[in-house]
Amino acid sequence: MKLWEGKREKRDFWAAMVFLLPNFLGFIAFTVGPVLLSLYMSFTNWSMKKSIPLEWVGFRNYIDLLSDGEFWFYFYNTCYFMLGVPFAVCGSLLLANILVDQMRIKVDRTRNKLAMLTAVVGFITCAFLWIGGSQDAALFAGIVYLAAFFGILFGTTTYRTMFYIPSFAAGVATMILWMQIFNPESGLLNNLLYYLFPAGTELPTWLQSTDNLLGFLPLPAHFNSSGFGFGAREAIIFMGFWGAIGGNNMILYIASISNIPDSYYEAADIDGAGSVAKFWHITVPSVAPTTFFILIMAVIGGLQGGFQMAKIMTNGGPIGTTTTLAYYIYSSGFSELKLGFASAVAWIMFIIVFGATLTQWKYGNRQSEA
Amino acid sequence: MTTNWRAIKTFLKFFFITLFASAIFVPFIWMICTAFKPANEVEMLNFIPHVASSDNFKLVLKIIPNALSGKYLNIDLLKWIFNSIFVASWVTVLQVTTSSLAAFAFSRIRWKFRDQVFVMYLATMMIPGLVLTIPQFQIMVSIGFVNTYAGLIIPMAFSAFGTFMLRQFMLGIPLSYDEAAEIDGASWMQIYLDIILPLTKPGLITLAIFTFLGNYRNLMWPLVMIKDEAIKTVPIGLLSFQGSYHSQTELLMAATMICIIPLIVMFIIMQKKLVRGINLGGGVKE
Repeated sequence: MKLWEGKREKRDFWAAMVFLLPNFLGFIAFTVGPVLLSLYMSFTNWSMKKSIPLEWVGFRNYIDLLSDGEFWFYFYNTCYFMLGVPFAVCGSLLLANILVDQMRIKVDRTRNKLAMLTAVVGFITCAFLWIGGSQDAALFAGIVYLAAFFGILFGTTTYRTMFYIPSFAAGVATMILWMQIFNPESGLLNNLLYYLFPAGTELPTWLQSTDNLLGFLPLPAHFNSSGFGFGAREAIIFMGFWGAIGGNNMILYIASISNIPDSYYEAADIDGAGSVAKFWHITVPSVAPTTFFILIMAVIGGLQGGFQMAKIMTNGGPIGTTTTLAYYIYSSGFSELKLGFASAVAWIMFIIVFGATLTQWKYGNRQSEA
Repeated sequence: MTTNWRAIKTFLKFFFITLFASAIFVPFIWMICTAFKPANEVEMLNFIPHVASSDNFKLVLKIIPNALSGKYLNIDLLKWIFNSIFVASWVTVLQVTTSSLAAFAFSRIRWKFRDQVFVMYLATMMIPGLVLTIPQFQIMVSIGFVNTYAGLIIPMAFSAFGTFMLRQFMLGIPLSYDEAAEIDGASWMQIYLDIILPLTKPGLITLAIFTFLGNYRNLMWPLVMIKDEAIKTVPIGLLSFQGSYHSQTELLMAATMICIIPLIVMFIIMQKKLVRGINLGGGVKE
C-alpha cells in the first residue's frame, strides 16, 4: 500500500499528518477507545450490578432489541420530533439573511431622534396601560418598545442577542419554565388560547396528552381519529422550535453569509438582480456547505436528542410518547443497569444515522472549485 | 428605488423583526419575573409579581439568610461561575486550535485516505455520547483526572464537531488562493496562517461561541467528573435547587439569571465580528 507517489505527494502527506496530529491524538484517546469498547460491550451482558459476571452473549442484545416493539415505537417518536427541523432551519436562514447586516440607520441624528421618539411613545403607552389596570399588558408593550429602542440604537446586536437568548438559558431552568407554560389549567399558553378561541373549545392538555398530528396512538401503535390533535410531542416540538430558530443554526448562517465575497453581490447588482433573486441565486448556493453541515448535525443530534427533555419534563410519558432513543438508552442502561443492552441500542442508532449521513454525503459534499 | 419606498421597507423590516424578537423573548421575561417573585407566587399566572423583591437574588448570592431558618444557603454561586468560565475558556482555546489545524488537513491538503479518515471522525459523532460516558470515565480514573480541572478540560479539547464545522467553512474558500500562494513559494504553514485562518474568521468565531456556551452549561460530563464543591460548574451547582422534597423554582430562576450574564457579555462581544465583507472576494477589491 502506497500512501504517496512522488516527492510532492509525500511532502503533502506528512504536512497533513502534522496538522492532524494534535486533534488526532486526543481523538484516539478519548473517543475511539471508548467507541470500540462500547462495540465490544454490546455483545455482552455487561451490567452495573456486581453480582452478574461479564459474559459474551453474541447477537442476543440485538435480536432482543429488534424484535421488541418498544424500540421501533421509540424510534418512531424520535423521528417524529425531527419533523420540526426543516422549518427551523429555513427560519434560521431567513433570519440570518436579515441579521447579517448591521441594520443601523446611518445618520446619527436621525437615529437618536427616532430612538428618543420610540422611548417617549413607549413610556406613555406603558404608563397608560399600567394605570388602566393591566400591568402585564404594560410589561409586554414595554418589551416591544424596548426592543425597538435598542434595535434602533444598536442595530442587529440587539436582535441577534434576543434571538439567541433561549440558547443561553437552555437547560434545567428553561425546561421548568416550559412545564409551567404548558400546564393545562394554570399555564400561560392555554390561558392565552382561552381568550383567542370561543368558549367551550376543548384546549389541548399538552404534556399530559398522547394526541398527535398523525393520529397514531402509542403501544400498541394504531391509528385512531380521536387521537388527532396537539399533545406532548407537539409541545416538545414547539419548545424546540423556540430554542432552535434563533440558536446555533442562525449564528452559523450569519457567519457563513458574512463570508460570501461582496463581489458576487456587486456583480448581481450590475445585472439588476432584486433582493429575492440575490438571496436565491447567490446566498443559498454559497451557504450550501453550511447547510450540509447543519442537516447532518440535525440528523445526528435529532436521533440522539430528547434525553434532557424527557428526564426533566416528562419522564418519557405519557405512555411513552416522548421517550426518545436517547432516553431509552438512559433508562435501560442507567436505571435498569443493562449497559450491554444500552450499548446495542446505541449501535443500532449508529447504523441508522450512518446510513442517513452517507446518503446526504453523496448529494451534499462538493468541494468548491471556484 | 425611491427614498420613500426604501424607508417603508426599512420600517417594515424593523417592525416585524422587533415583534418576532419580542415574541421569542416572552418565556425569558417569565423567567425574569419569576426570579423576582416570592415563593407563594411562583405558580400564579401574573407576570409582574404582586410583591416584587430582589430577595431571591440576595439569597442565592448569600447576602441575606433565609427568612425562616435564619441560615445562609450552602452554595457558592460566584465560584461556580468562575469555574465554568475557567473551564469553558480553556476548552475554547484548545478546541478551536486543534480543530482548525485538523480541518485544514481535511479540506486544503490532498492526501490518500483523507476522506476515509474524515468519515471515521464523523462516524464517532453518531454514537450516542451516553454509552461512551462510562468508558471515558474509566480512562479518566486510570490517568487520575477525576475531580480535577484537567478532567473537565482535556477530553473536551478535541472535537469532531469543530473539525467538521471548520472544514465546511474552509471548503468555501476557492482553491486558487492556495495555488497562487504556493507559486509564490509559501509553505503549508504559511498558507494556513496567512490565508486560510483570516478567511475562516467567521467560522472560528462561531465555533468559539458554540464551544464556550456548550462547555459553560455542559451537564453530563461534569456530573460524572465532579465530586468536590471546589470545582463545581454552573449547571452542576444549579441542580442543588432541585431538591428531592421541593424544587425552589424562584431561586433557580434567580441563580440562572445571574449565571447567564457572562454568556450574554461574551456573545455581544463576539458576534460583533460576524459582519459582511471579511472575505475580500478574490483579492480583486481595490
